[in-house]
Amino acid sequence: MSIKRQLRFVLGMLAIAVIVLSGCATPAVPTVSDAGAGGETVSAEKVLRINLGTFPDMIDPQRSSFVNEIALLKLAYEGLTRQDAELDTVPAAAESWTYNDDATVLTFTLRDGLKYSDGSLLNAERFAYSIRRNIDPATAGEYASITDEILGAPEWRGCGDDAAACEAAKAQVMESVKATHADGSACTGYDDAECNTLTLTLSRPAPYFHVVMSLWVTFPAKEELITAAGENWWLDAANHVGNGPFIMDTLEQGVRAFYTPNPNYWGQVPVVSIDFAFITDSAVAFEAYKNNEFDIIGLAAEDLEVVKADPVLSQEANIYPGSCSFAVMFHQLKEPFTDQKVREAFAHALDRDAWVQDVLRGLGSPTLTWIPKGFPGYDAEENRWGYDPEAALQAIADSSYGSVENLPPITLTFSDTPRNRTRNEWLAAKFKEVLGIDVKLDPVEATTYTALTKDINTAPQTFILGWCADYPDPQNWLSVYWRTGAFGERIGYSNPELDALLEQADTELDPEKRAQLYADAQRLLTDGAPVAFMWNNVNAYLVKPWVSGIVKTPQDAGWPGDISPWTIDIDTAAQIR
Amino acid sequence: MTTYLIRRVLWIIPVMLLVALITFTLMHQAPGGPWDRDLNRRQVDASTQEMLNRQFGLDKPLFFNFEGEHILDSQFFNYIGNAVQGDLGPSYRQRGRMVQDVLFEPPKNKPIWDSKFGYSMRLGLLALTMAAIFGIPLGILAALKRNTIFDYSALFISTIGISVPSFVLAIFLIIVLAGQLGILKIIQRDWSNPAAWLVPATVLGFGTFAYITRLTRSSMLEVMGQDYIRTARAKGLGGRVIITRHMLRNALIPVMTIMGPALAGLVTGSFIIESMFGFPGSGREYVLAISNRDYSMIMGTTLIYALLIVLANLTVDIMYGFLDPRIKVN
Repeated sequence: MSIKRQLRFVLGMLAIAVIVLSGCATPAVPTVSDAGAGGETVSAEKVLRINLGTFPDMIDPQRSSFVNEIALLKLAYEGLTRQDAELDTVPAAAESWTYNDDATVLTFTLRDGLKYSDGSLLNAERFAYSIRRNIDPATAGEYASITDEILGAPEWRGCGDDAAACEAAKAQVMESVKATHADGSACTGYDDAECNTLTLTLSRPAPYFHVVMSLWVTFPAKEELITAAGENWWLDAANHVGNGPFIMDTLEQGVRAFYTPNPNYWGQVPVVSIDFAFITDSAVAFEAYKNNEFDIIGLAAEDLEVVKADPVLSQEANIYPGSCSFAVMFHQLKEPFTDQKVREAFAHALDRDAWVQDVLRGLGSPTLTWIPKGFPGYDAEENRWGYDPEAALQAIADSSYGSVENLPPITLTFSDTPRNRTRNEWLAAKFKEVLGIDVKLDPVEATTYTALTKDINTAPQTFILGWCADYPDPQNWLSVYWRTGAFGERIGYSNPELDALLEQADTELDPEKRAQLYADAQRLLTDGAPVAFMWNNVNAYLVKPWVSGIVKTPQDAGWPGDISPWTIDIDTAAQIR
Repeated sequence: MTTYLIRRVLWIIPVMLLVALITFTLMHQAPGGPWDRDLNRRQVDASTQEMLNRQFGLDKPLFFNFEGEHILDSQFFNYIGNAVQGDLGPSYRQRGRMVQDVLFEPPKNKPIWDSKFGYSMRLGLLALTMAAIFGIPLGILAALKRNTIFDYSALFISTIGISVPSFVLAIFLIIVLAGQLGILKIIQRDWSNPAAWLVPATVLGFGTFAYITRLTRSSMLEVMGQDYIRTARAKGLGGRVIITRHMLRNALIPVMTIMGPALAGLVTGSFIIESMFGFPGSGREYVLAISNRDYSMIMGTTLIYALLIVLANLTVDIMYGFLDPRIKVN
């Protein structure tokens, strides 16, 4: 017997064993669905095959918070607004919106004839339900706090056991989030076709709030389906009746999610179906891509050299700016970083170009500022505290410590993975080289690290941390992070001057003045060198040449092109399946 | 025999309680909690965390409640109380789902063996069967043809099986079978197709196969040197009868011993297979629950694993009595 025949024999025997053992096999799930809404058959000839990595824990608009969860939600649902290719916020389910004079009331007007994927009516009452559900403490959604500008929202979320307070706050939110007819008269329910106006009353001026209303927390999942199926409603694809450009056709735990175009979408209906698989091992996904089993996968850092060296794969690599900023964080209340000069010294000692080239292998871009390139508010001019060994030593000399010998021990804490080990060893070596300081490395278990860095009392003295945008607005980068009591508080950052400036920017109605105020605020933040801004991440994907029409933005999460999936097309003649 | 059985079954209770106590104590020693999120993004806000803690009873003391109405109204004793009634508690990560539902509930309109645990169980059984079907004959062959090419080949294969990690073997098989030979798809979108199970089961069972081969060989060699084999030969029995009736029956006892624990290990050990092949089993829950601090999932999976091991050992001990009358159960 030839080797091949022997192999076939062995495989045949194995096949018999498998059939015997899994004789309980159920009929195959159809790969192509003809279950278009309203009896309309949707062509699913063109199937885009994407690896999304980890299977979501929850696919519930008002509870989800992870990238892979949001990627799936964004196909089946759509918010009141959305972002375009330039990350400007544009109309989506709402055709327009207006703020009152002091930006404390935001009024949306929905498009005429909006429909769910099953053909049923979608009116403003649906959005009111979703936004209230996001605030409702019973939902306990992970992004509940993102709509806290709504009058009564923080009170309802945090009302605890006090039943009277809960009732009062709830009543307030019911008023603050109100669906009406165009003339202001009350809606009669989900069947009310004239109910096209949604009014949000805010507790303070928030001229950025229409951007927040593009987020998944506003996606109008149907109340009756959620109520009927209970907390697990999202497990069944049939319950995902949405208003997005796609219909969730199949959802198989851990295996696949299959989406077909939604013929009832108000805008341009996509021409491809999308078949997601969930392979968490990047080496396997890469092999599958090379074997033409995927059209799009994430490009892992380990595979970058192979891809660059390969004439075909290098053409298929898409590497472009991402949505996160990373910095070396200095705890402002722990010595020696109480001294601005020491912080400056460490920032000057950081060779960001070498870091990106040697450690990140080009998967990143060096930065000296907080808001990344590609986002509204990016400051291309910022050049302070960049790599400069001489200035670093001078700053130490100018500091209250006078010389390196007088500095207290420096400890660099990190989440213990092989990748982070390399990264932090490089960093320690760099500080040693430039400043002559022996930095102690302190690896901790991953979740422990998260827990430590969250709290001002346990946050390490020195560590790398980043921020990824919730939505593309300077308010999300600056106010949400650096105001006193916000996320920056974990390293003890509090600057009343910055607070005042951000307060002014957050409530400014004139777009140009507003942009200038945020630009000033970002400069003011950098003045004090609170942290060493270091690098921005990149999105890196491999895309087969037969896929066209992918619009890339820094905000892409999970896969490239979700900002306008309707432009994506596949040359089926070229596609190898 | 009956007394022995009853005693052994009753022993399961303290063993499980001890496992529960140790697991519970250890997992609460680790900092962090189930509501920690991607550290570079928005974290769950404090009042929502408080809300969640209350919803899930995480605001109660760990062991003894000195302030509440009942001293045992604590996280640990409430968990034990519910677990005894078959309620393994809510998953903190896959919210709205109970641990037993995540593991044992099949998708809508599917039979129980299409649940995550069902998938892992079937894959584990298949892997073990394959390991035994190929491992035992190879071990016998290696022993009977000692120091021949058969023996060395078996030694070679089993050394590979024991020393090569499963993720290396998996990627090797993927590259060869899918990339080079093109005879299978890497990404399985339909697990009801039996052929899809071949490679995952091979990868999962290869280490066990190697172990069974080595064990069968050494135990065969030991038996072959026994006096009763010489006696059998001396009284003129045929080779086949000696091998099947005198050698195998004795040589396979140690192999049977490891089968039970091996099955338990295979059923729960499919994490790598799942992440590489997208296999919808329960191994992912075992591993991710720990870094996710999904407390009830950690407890649930650990207790089920412990129960599987205990039951497997019990079964093996009982089977001893039938296989070898010399081993007295009591």
